[in-house]
Amino acid sequence: MSQSYRQIFGDGLWNNNVAMGQMLALCPLLAVTTTATNGLGMGLASMVVLLLTNVIISSIRGIITPQVRIPVLIVLIATVVTLVDMAINALLHPLYKVLGLFIALIVTNCAILGRAESFAAKNGVRLAAADALAMGLGFTWVLIVIGGMREILGSGTLFSHASLLLGDSFAWLEITVIPNYSGILLSVLPPGAFIALGLLIAFKRVVDRRLKSGNTEQLVVPTL
Amino acid sequence: MATVASPSYRQRVSYHAGLLAGICCLVSMLLLIGNMESEEIISDHLEADKQFLLGQVLPAALYDNAPLREIEVLDNINGFTKPVEIAPAMLAGQLSAVVLQSSVGGWGDNIQFIIAADKQGNITGVRVISHKETPGLADGIELDKSDWITRFNGHSLQSLSPSQWAVKKDGGEFDQFTGATITPRAMVNGVHRALEVMAEWQQQQLASQPPREQEQQQPPAAAPATAAPTAVEHQQGVNP
Amino acid sequence: MTQDTSSAPLTMVAPHTHDRSSVERIMLQVCLALTPATLFGLWQFGWPAAMLWLLTCVSAVATEVLCLWLRRKPLHHSVDLSALLTGWLLALSLPPWAPWWIGVGGSFFAIAVGKHLYGGIGQNIFNPAMLARIALLVSFPVQMTTWPLAGQHTPDFITSLGIIFQGMPMPDGTTGATILGELKTAYSGDATVTSITDAHFFWLDAGLGFTAGSLGETSALLILAGGIWLLALRIISWHIPVAMLLSLLLVSAFFNAVDPGRYAGPMVHLLSGGTLLGAFFIATDYVTSPSSNSGRLWFGACCGVLVFAIRSWGGFPEGVGFAVLFMNALTPLLDRYCKPRAYGRNVAGKALKVRNTTRRIK
Repeated sequence: MSQSYRQIFGDGLWNNNVAMGQMLALCPLLAVTTTATNGLGMGLASMVVLLLTNVIISSIRGIITPQVRIPVLIVLIATVVTLVDMAINALLHPLYKVLGLFIALIVTNCAILGRAESFAAKNGVRLAAADALAMGLGFTWVLIVIGGMREILGSGTLFSHASLLLGDSFAWLEITVIPNYSGILLSVLPPGAFIALGLLIAFKRVVDRRLKSGNTEQLVVPTL
Repeated sequence: MATVASPSYRQRVSYHAGLLAGICCLVSMLLLIGNMESEEIISDHLEADKQFLLGQVLPAALYDNAPLREIEVLDNINGFTKPVEIAPAMLAGQLSAVVLQSSVGGWGDNIQFIIAADKQGNITGVRVISHKETPGLADGIELDKSDWITRFNGHSLQSLSPSQWAVKKDGGEFDQFTGATITPRAMVNGVHRALEVMAEWQQQQLASQPPREQEQQQPPAAAPATAAPTAVEHQQGVNP
Repeated sequence: MTQDTSSAPLTMVAPHTHDRSSVERIMLQVCLALTPATLFGLWQFGWPAAMLWLLTCVSAVATEVLCLWLRRKPLHHSVDLSALLTGWLLALSLPPWAPWWIGVGGSFFAIAVGKHLYGGIGQNIFNPAMLARIALLVSFPVQMTTWPLAGQHTPDFITSLGIIFQGMPMPDGTTGATILGELKTAYSGDATVTSITDAHFFWLDAGLGFTAGSLGETSALLILAGGIWLLALRIISWHIPVAMLLSLLLVSAFFNAVDPGRYAGPMVHLLSGGTLLGAFFIATDYVTSPSSNSGRLWFGACCGVLVFAIRSWGGFPEGVGFAVLFMNALTPLLDRYCKPRAYGRNVAGKALKVRNTTRRIK
């Protein structure tokens, strides 16, 4: 059952990526990625929640019985999300004003329950933590890429308001890509999220196909 | 799960119930602690947000009280889609300005805004708090997008005639946006109406000071028309 | 019915016959049907409109060639004129003096995203021209709602180049809102619909085309003539246009009768905006409309109701594009429920009972 860390990270970052391989967590993905900064914030918040739930669930997996596992998992996930929600509201208030609604929605994020059920409940704490990190990082980079695409096309900037999220020392991240740009509004509106996600998934398929034709023994079928 | 042998007691319903109950107790405690720890900080933040918004429309030199703690709610005021929240700004015990917050109907949905005017009725600031107008077309009412909203500053019921309180397309003083007339029109009407409500409320405040209870003793019919709803509310509260 | 050879056999049933028409022939005839209205629009709005129209058509064909090349398909597909028609329809629905990148970007979106990403001709769910128009409208609301007024002196060639290619501001007083835009604006002011239509809507002007609007929205009469010509050639069937116009007429007449101060009458709805262009040229697209006659009736009727609903209660003044796209999305469903009966079988697909007129043979 145990998997190598290399495999876990390969799955999380690319092969079985939450958004592009498992096609989970699309609701928060589509909703918040109007800027790269929002994507980064949502990705990090999801990763923290995922890490906490995976570790907790993995460490108590011995006492959970299959009959009650779903309510137990949901109660635990909801608690962690609520605590993270409170913590962000108290400690990172500017970010909370942007992400407020969506943090509470992490609780409905299928990826969290999916990882808890399919990985954390079957593996040791260390592996579960590694899986959470891998999946969280994979989700975060997809959010940042989609947010960045939409932000550049929609408003001509990249990582705007990043200093609100990361502190003033990260103000250098805020780039104006195209000055005096009125923007393609479609890309910051909901349809833009669907188009950007579609393009990204298509890109992954193309790359996978290229890789597959290059060396055939590394054929990976995405599974949950 | 193959590694852990499942003892027989785990098959019992009582184990399942106990497990769920135990976990629920545990997480309730966690949530309680989390809430206690963060409640005060969060309410401070919310207070600071409101204070920041107030600072946007009302210069700090104009008041030394906490207007946000003295909010009065007026229901059923014409021209607004939500109850009007109105509060006095006091300087050294004297009324120095009035703050008003409410919503008007825009193109998309309600436009929520806050406005303040000094005691002569000159606008010190207007800000849109939330709106759902078309992005790129009508969101110039946000300060982030354009300085349109600052053009109300300094205007009053005296500085412009009622017909000048309109967008240029309707023969008034204020610019509309290219391709969007409804949003600016709604905002101009809302600001104009807010000034009227504020002026009436201010007079009523000054008249009823210091003992504000006197006004409530009057029969509602004798109260000024716009004050009627509040007066009626108070009446209902007093007379069982 | 030859264009959608890949999708039609799923729902159309035997017997099939062929009338020797081809994709090229049909597309050419539709383009011809659009020509009078286009020429009238070009005459009315002058050089800028002509440049924009040419640019949009050329870039549509260029994008088609590029996409076919990228997809390693034989290039002779691009001469089937469907890309030209898409570009042409798009150009007809744009504000005539829009900057060049509106036309080029719109054409690219229509052909690359609206058509080839779905798999090319016959595979697209949505009408590419309308998809591009809506994408442009949502993305660039300012440029897409700036209409030159009709019946004014059109700019000369050099000024036109400036307007289209350099984004030169249009001279003051030469632009205005369409009648539908005026109506939308009226709801928030004190004006009633009646006063707006009295001041801005003259049905003779609207019918002949002397109003603000896109090339394909102005001359109701010439669009109608082109549509009737297509009907006569049997390139389109009467079901969708008639159902759409009739339902729009009935719904708007009903609401207008109930509250004339709030809802515009049927003449306004039928003669203004893209109603006629949509009914005859866009909703009737073979690929994106149902293939059975009952499905077409439903499709058209729903389009009409949606047009009225979006114009009256929606966020945008014009609703034809949205209505058609919405019904495009429902087309597979309509195809499923409005399947024509197969020969010798009932609607559910079971064999019909044969009346026993001869003796059973043992």
